Amino acid sequence: MATKKLGFVIRTLPYKIEGSRLAMTHAISSQTVEIYLEDGDLVEPVVCFIGDGVLNCLKSQLAMKHYGITSLEQHVKNSLLLDLNVLICKEDVDRLGIKEDALIMDAEDIGGETNAKLVPYSEIQKAMESVDHLLFC
Amino acid sequence: MGKLTIGCFSSLVGSMSLDFAVKLSEAAVQKGHKVDLWVSGNGTMLSKSGQKAFKDYSALAKKVQELVATGNMQVTACEACAEARGYKKEDTMEGVKRFSMDWYLASTFSADRVLHIGGD
Amino acid sequence: MKLGVFVSDYRTGADVLDRLTAEKLGIILVGNGVYNATVKENGKSSSVLEKPATFYVLVEDLESRGFSAANVDSRVKVVNYGDLVDLIFNDYEKTIWI
Repeated sequence: MATKKLGFVIRTLPYKIEGSRLAMTHAISSQTVEIYLEDGDLVEPVVCFIGDGVLNCLKSQLAMKHYGITSLEQHVKNSLLLDLNVLICKEDVDRLGIKEDALIMDAEDIGGETNAKLVPYSEIQKAMESVDHLLFC
Repeated sequence: MGKLTIGCFSSLVGSMSLDFAVKLSEAAVQKGHKVDLWVSGNGTMLSKSGQKAFKDYSALAKKVQELVATGNMQVTACEACAEARGYKKEDTMEGVKRFSMDWYLASTFSADRVLHIGGD
Repeated sequence: MKLGVFVSDYRTGADVLDRLTAEKLGIILVGNGVYNATVKENGKSSSVLEKPATFYVLVEDLESRGFSAANVDSRVKVVNYGDLVDLIFNDYEKTIWI
């Protein structure tokens, strides 16, 4: 029995390129990875938003209305619903003039019990050190 | 000898990142390592059959098939990414597999090293 | 951690590199990242080369862009794909691509 930790570090903007979307969907796929692994083995992702990537975490994204695709807001909420560890860099949020109440910090509206964490970059650095592999997107 | 898992989201044509991934894979295989190459997003198109080589576009199909034929490299494409691009199962390059995204995570589980190329 | 950072672009990525710390840091210049090893804008080398790291540049990407080893900053070692494989397996525990 072993657990491998993966650090998805999202630094790209939510639309135009697919990086953040694919990072989220790959991280969420950790929920079904057991079908390929031995009993008891796990893959545990942590999802970190840094730099411009924090803009993926804004509330009220109307991508479904205008583009006909799932918003990154929904993917963040789905991650929280599945109890993934979601970290958002506070320095970058402050730098971009974003208030905490503009960020998706929970998924209560869809039954989630886990909250995102607004943390200093030093905490994200610690998370990057603690994982087995890093996946920057 | 170790196992290297490479994930690549980048475009087949233009980005040159898939070219890098394939050349790195070749060098790793030549040194006796095993390689899993996961292609997702726009990178999925690397695994489609029927690619025609033009001198103005990256042409990686032949090299990929040679590497897969060594038995030391596995190329796997994201099934949803492929279907979203109109690339059907029967269009898959010989020797290449298609799975859902959790396959990539499982590959990282047993990898000694992971290089994830997440850009476009 | 022992971290190898593949820098694949020119002018971008500083936001990551400026904050990243590692017990052992390698910066591997590939793709358009090779310009960091060769271009001296207004006579000044790329700020990427000021990081406390060991630097490498991929010879294929260098030559593809009209440079040779002679154009490379003295802080940067010229490597090939085989060398990259050895760096990944022997020198760094984690690798990232920016």
